[in-house]
Amino acid sequence: MELFVDAAYESINHYGEELCGDKVEFVRRDDSFLAVLADGLGSGVKANILSTLTSKIIATMLSEGATLTEAVETIASTLPVCSERGLAYSTFTIVRVSRGGDVYLAEFDNPNAILYVENQLTPIDRVEREIGGKTIYTSEFSVRPGDLLMCFSDGVVHAGVGRLLDLGWQYDNIVSYVSENITPQMSAREITRRLLSAVNTLYMQKPGDDSTVCSFRFKTSRPATIMVGPPVNHEMDSTVVNKLMYSRGLKVVCGGTTSQIVSKVTGKELTVHLDYDNPAVPPTATLAGVDLVTEGVLTLGKCLEILKTMTSSDEKQLDRFSLNKKDGATRLAKLLLEECTEAHFLVGRALNPAHQNPGMPVSLGLKLNLIKELAAELEKTGKKVTVEYF
Amino acid sequence: MIEITVCVGSSCHMKGSYQVIKTFTELIRANQLDDVVHLKASFCMGRCLSGIAVTVNGEPVENVGFVNAEQIFYDHIFPLAQQESAAN
Repeated sequence: MELFVDAAYESINHYGEELCGDKVEFVRRDDSFLAVLADGLGSGVKANILSTLTSKIIATMLSEGATLTEAVETIASTLPVCSERGLAYSTFTIVRVSRGGDVYLAEFDNPNAILYVENQLTPIDRVEREIGGKTIYTSEFSVRPGDLLMCFSDGVVHAGVGRLLDLGWQYDNIVSYVSENITPQMSAREITRRLLSAVNTLYMQKPGDDSTVCSFRFKTSRPATIMVGPPVNHEMDSTVVNKLMYSRGLKVVCGGTTSQIVSKVTGKELTVHLDYDNPAVPPTATLAGVDLVTEGVLTLGKCLEILKTMTSSDEKQLDRFSLNKKDGATRLAKLLLEECTEAHFLVGRALNPAHQNPGMPVSLGLKLNLIKELAAELEKTGKKVTVEYF
Repeated sequence: MIEITVCVGSSCHMKGSYQVIKTFTELIRANQLDDVVHLKASFCMGRCLSGIAVTVNGEPVENVGFVNAEQIFYDHIFPLAQQESAAN
């Protein structure tokens, strides 16, 4: 069984700081996934440099095959020493997941990571190790699809300290908040955003420390193939449609003309729905064998807007965004964000006769840019995205 | 049965197919023609330059917009629907 790691992280900065003192680094390889969360001493520029160095060095060394000991020793002798405190210090949490679901976790001075197996809080067995004078806790365990692992920086634990809450939010309360809020369907992005939004509220929008949440939802690998636009060369029509129909996983068609081509090649009837869930988004259609059929460029534009709201780090946007609407753009966004693990776009570059209408504010270049932006946004949510042109 | 198809492709959507479908649906209900008129949507019908693409029993109707949707209904659809009702 192949496992995919749906990984997401988000940070809020210390009030008044432009740079974040926490840093998360993800490295995706064909056979494994690696994440490092580092929290540098203090806040602002100094903390940012410490945490960036730490996360980058560990991520690069470990993914190239170095041992934990080597990586930790390298950091200890590389980090610049703070002139005020005489210390070179950054905490870290390392998560490495193999394709088969074996997890290796190493933690140094960050709040303990929490694991949910089948939506139940599950304790992690930790082993204490001394490396270069630092006490590091390591653990090894296996995860299955549906499990969730979360780690966060101490800014989360201290949320509200001295203002709303005398002692801050405290670790146990955070764990119970997460336990109460997670559902088995919730994506890594959504649970991350929920927790961080609560942190921001407790700090009354003026965080006293950089706070970062990083979540990993383990899923069975499930790719989605999305066909957008008719191929330039008509003879390629059936090739591209076959590529879509014989792909593994979810199948999506975006575009009126495109869906008519798919209907013609497969010989299945295309039924366009009459009901509008949102007058701004054209209706969807059904086609046997395809999971979602939508209109093209307008739906993609709207979908991109939704994805941007989801990935935006603007604190005002931290509120939970509903993905439960039934219009084409929301369904596409939900499919891309929550249902698939990898996205493969098959993009046709034919000029659409519909777009020659002078009132239609859409050009081919705009559509292609839209897809590029969409791919970039999706990559930010931790998915593997590939684009192929025809 | 009279079959009306309204295009909901990108271009026609921008011109207001939503309004046209809404108007037609309301008029069909108001005139109690649900049994004789079947309203359908379609993706791009390849006639993007002559108003919102609409066909009545497969025959294209030109220059449909959301402002004249009611007029179009009474000019092109209502007479046919009445014949159909009478024949039933």
